[in-house]
Amino acid sequence: MDRKRVPGPELSVAPLVEYPIDHERWTPQQEKRHDPKRQPEDLRPIYLKTGLISQASGSAYIELENTKLACGVYGPRPVKKIGQGFSGMGVLNCDFKFATFACVKRRNNTRQDPQEKELSQILSQALAPAVRLELLPKSVIDVYITVLESDGWGSCLAAAITAASVALAHAGIEMLDLVAGCSASYMQIGPSISSTTTETSSSSGAGNPITPQIQIFMDADTEEEKYEQGAIVLAYMPSLNEVTHLLQNGKAEGPIINQSVEHCMEACNKVYAVMHHALLESMKESKDA
Amino acid sequence: MDTTTATTPMNLENSPAFTFTASTFQKLHPIEYFRKFVSQGVRPDGRLLNGFRPTTVHVGVITTANGSAMVRLGGTTVVCGIKAEVAEPKLDSPDQGYLVPNVDLSPMCSSAFRPGPPGEQAQVVSDAINRVLKESKVLDLKDLCIEEGKAVWTLWVDIVCVSYDGNIYDAALASVMAALANVRIRNPSYAGGIIKVAGGEAISDENSFRLKLNRTPLSSSFALFDTSLTLLADPNFAEESISQGQISITIDEHDELCAVSKIGAGSSSQALLRQCVDRARERSKELRAIMSAQ
Repeated sequence: MDRKRVPGPELSVAPLVEYPIDHERWTPQQEKRHDPKRQPEDLRPIYLKTGLISQASGSAYIELENTKLACGVYGPRPVKKIGQGFSGMGVLNCDFKFATFACVKRRNNTRQDPQEKELSQILSQALAPAVRLELLPKSVIDVYITVLESDGWGSCLAAAITAASVALAHAGIEMLDLVAGCSASYMQIGPSISSTTTETSSSSGAGNPITPQIQIFMDADTEEEKYEQGAIVLAYMPSLNEVTHLLQNGKAEGPIINQSVEHCMEACNKVYAVMHHALLESMKESKDA
Repeated sequence: MDTTTATTPMNLENSPAFTFTASTFQKLHPIEYFRKFVSQGVRPDGRLLNGFRPTTVHVGVITTANGSAMVRLGGTTVVCGIKAEVAEPKLDSPDQGYLVPNVDLSPMCSSAFRPGPPGEQAQVVSDAINRVLKESKVLDLKDLCIEEGKAVWTLWVDIVCVSYDGNIYDAALASVMAALANVRIRNPSYAGGIIKVAGGEAISDENSFRLKLNRTPLSSSFALFDTSLTLLADPNFAEESISQGQISITIDEHDELCAVSKIGAGSSSQALLRQCVDRARERSKELRAIMSAQ
């Protein structure tokens, strides 16, 4: 039993949601996105601001419509853990956390969450190549992420990478380049395979008519992720033109992966412009103050 | 080189090595630095002694929650999200739901907090909020009953501190009250041990219900500074760390006291406490106006 929190019932569940029979749900077969205003290659508009956390060395808040997260960077500060020994390189320690109300299903924070562990590790792997850790021996940089609301797993991770690298820059930590994150999902669109025969003439993919048409949706939201065949999250340093982390899961053929990596790189360049703008704004603000 | 001249007392006074910039002085003698301001009736951040920091309240900021609010109190930012889930009621109260407030002070919001289970301060604030909600009967827990003895609503009230700059209790309590007023739960139906809610159509007054709040307690905190016990309203992080103690006054909309707490600082006079209550009354009106403007 957890004595450090106000206790609630031991077991509680979300109620079953019953949809009326005539309720029309979004599916990729409708050949448009969940948000019909978005084109497949469109990202959601990004709001990015630095300096929200007054106590942190550097901080950033990012919002992609319903994906909202805050990042705080502390350090570089001396390594306090005993037994870690001397290290000529600095340590980048990332901690990724979801607020209990961030997802559709409530997250229980009393237990260690393996997904949060995984995301923390991915985040530090994506950021470490950009940070000049060799200049910071015997020190540790702590990057803390709190997701206030998540709308899409991939977009959440991508937003975290983007926000964390802006927060690192805001903290004045030397980096080779900013790391921009971007996610993409691939899913089968158009009529399902059984009925493709009528569509073959209009489908752009010449050749094998049985091959379902795969569409890449950039920055997919939760509803779209339900139907995805696979997804990709790319962390990319735009001005060095180097990829720091690439995560692909699910089923996809080589050309689709190549194509989505290219799409993500392009999108990262757009994200980079937003990051630049946010940092310049923070410079202006500190100058005025 | 004027090393020889520096030995004479007069030059010593003018020597740059013995004059500090304001920020150095603040770091070396934080209390003395503060005292200099307080003696002039102001604070280093430009506020008067009884001034609260600019406050903003936004409700409905989290769409995945049943009710939510974000409160900014100067540099302190908290987000409160409320999720409603179904649970079995306690045997001794078969028709009462649960209201479970918890504050999370993560290491992200300030370097004062460590990762891991809730620290001392988080536990204290969580418990204080829990007590105010329970003792002043903000919510009739019977309203949360779905089927007596079988199923009730559990309101998980989680308060996440995004940025910490002192006075977490005022900010957290305000966010809880704003979020509770924002809660909307779809009407449940109970059949054969299964709770169902209708999905699909947009949430509206017909297919959902709001919570009936009996009262809205809001708190105002004051730090006690120095042996003179000067009152500093709405202390920030730096002021909290040098204060002798703290007084929190929680007042509802009918100007009735819901909770009073005083920590530390030896004995304080009745007049001091009355001064706090008077200021808290004004402040709670201001804060209520900000919240209802939403």
